[in-house]
Amino acid sequence: MNIIRRALTLIALVGICSVSAAPQQAAAAGKRTIAVATDATWPPMEMVDANKKIVGFDIDLMNAIAKEAGLTVEYKNTAWDGIFAGLTGGRYDAIISSVTITDERKKQYDFSDPYIQIGQILVVPKTEARAAKIADLKGKKVGAQIGTTGAFEIKKVQGVELKNYDEIGLAFEDMAAGRISGVVCDEPTAAHYALQKAEYKNKFKIVGKSFTSEAYGIVVKKGDKELVALLNKGIKAVQAKKIEDQLRKKWLR
Amino acid sequence: MADLERARPAIEVGDGAAIPSKSDIGLFTAWRFAFFGAVILLVYLAVTRPDPYLAILKFVPDGILVTFEVTVGAILLALVIGLVAGLGRIASNRLLNGLASLYVEVIRGIPLLVQLFYIYYALGRFVHVPDIASAIVAMAFCYGAYMGEVFRAGIQSIPKGQMEAARSLGMTRGEAMRHVILPQAVKVVLPPIGNEFIALLKDSSLVSILAVADILRRGREFASESFTYFETYTVIALVYLIITLFLSKLIGIMEERISAGN
Repeated sequence: MNIIRRALTLIALVGICSVSAAPQQAAAAGKRTIAVATDATWPPMEMVDANKKIVGFDIDLMNAIAKEAGLTVEYKNTAWDGIFAGLTGGRYDAIISSVTITDERKKQYDFSDPYIQIGQILVVPKTEARAAKIADLKGKKVGAQIGTTGAFEIKKVQGVELKNYDEIGLAFEDMAAGRISGVVCDEPTAAHYALQKAEYKNKFKIVGKSFTSEAYGIVVKKGDKELVALLNKGIKAVQAKKIEDQLRKKWLR
Repeated sequence: MADLERARPAIEVGDGAAIPSKSDIGLFTAWRFAFFGAVILLVYLAVTRPDPYLAILKFVPDGILVTFEVTVGAILLALVIGLVAGLGRIASNRLLNGLASLYVEVIRGIPLLVQLFYIYYALGRFVHVPDIASAIVAMAFCYGAYMGEVFRAGIQSIPKGQMEAARSLGMTRGEAMRHVILPQAVKVVLPPIGNEFIALLKDSSLVSILAVADILRRGREFASESFTYFETYTVIALVYLIITLFLSKLIGIMEERISAGN
């Protein structure tokens, strides 16, 4: 019994040492490690690839920003509807997850400078011939991911029932099953599902042009001025080097 | 609660776990303390800080209705499925017995959340069922398996002599089951069925994953827009607590009535 207990204590001690050693090494190299949350269900901005790695436009961009700013990044895949609560709770230092900079969110959190401009767009089944905007779907259900600016846009339209999904992919799946008549999300994501995914290509179409203009920013805890400054420095360098344009070509086409 | 415990709760019935004995019916029973405590806390919060708390309370009522719809629909369907499965499990017909056992074993071995995803999204490819209906079906299928075991245990708890006596009076097996065994079994299975009822109500929060606007979904919608996570989930927890406590009281009263009736 005693031996087992000693062995366990030893294992625990080794574990603690190795955990505390990791940041020290990073510090020795002069790099600060930050944990960054992302909801990897929003292709092509952030998603999980076939090798279970988190990839996407935002991830590549974050890596480039971190390189310029002298940061080491550790990603944490987090469900969207708790992603802001986790930041408040100190579970990570920043969020890069296609977060639109809004006044409401600015009251609660601090944002980096905007790193890309994007808009909301409506996707409908091809059978929905006459729908040109959300208001044309009065009396019907339109889906979006919970707590996203797409959902807020649907809510603004009187007579349209908003359905909130945990992940945007589930909304598209539900539209394929005929339970809802439209989905509103960010333009690149809409394009991914409506124009590139083989099983949806013949079923869905994008309606018109994006009808909002939104800027994505990296979210940090309120008052974390130091990190915001670092991130802004990185964003400026990335934009100066035209890395963003390369990433646009790579991910958004 | 562990599946095993749910599967054979009838065994505990002799202890009368869910039936309050006469001695603890006073002013300060645990039930009253919890129920009125939760109600008073909720009212206090809503009155003193109406900004988030009252706003949340105003936001969730249609969610409560949906939760009720799903729970009541699922419980009624599950009772029917459970009775059929339970009778199937004790049937001497090997085909019936095998089918019922297969159903119970398969359903009990798959998490409810997976079943919900399966019936809603996977089968949604082939059959287009409205969301609340498929939520009810999925919950009922899952709970039907547990209810089946409750009914089986209840029926098997009735001494064999009862069946033999009924048969010797000239009743067929079916008649004996209907007039002699089942009425006695109902008394035995009532407490575990009540357990299932409450468990089902709480598990119905899982249907929020199907974009069904139940209490939890409404709460999440509110929180994700207002960033008031603490306040929202406090209210959601209290609302669930008040409903389940109310239900457990109702079931307790029903049990007393039925045992008094005999």
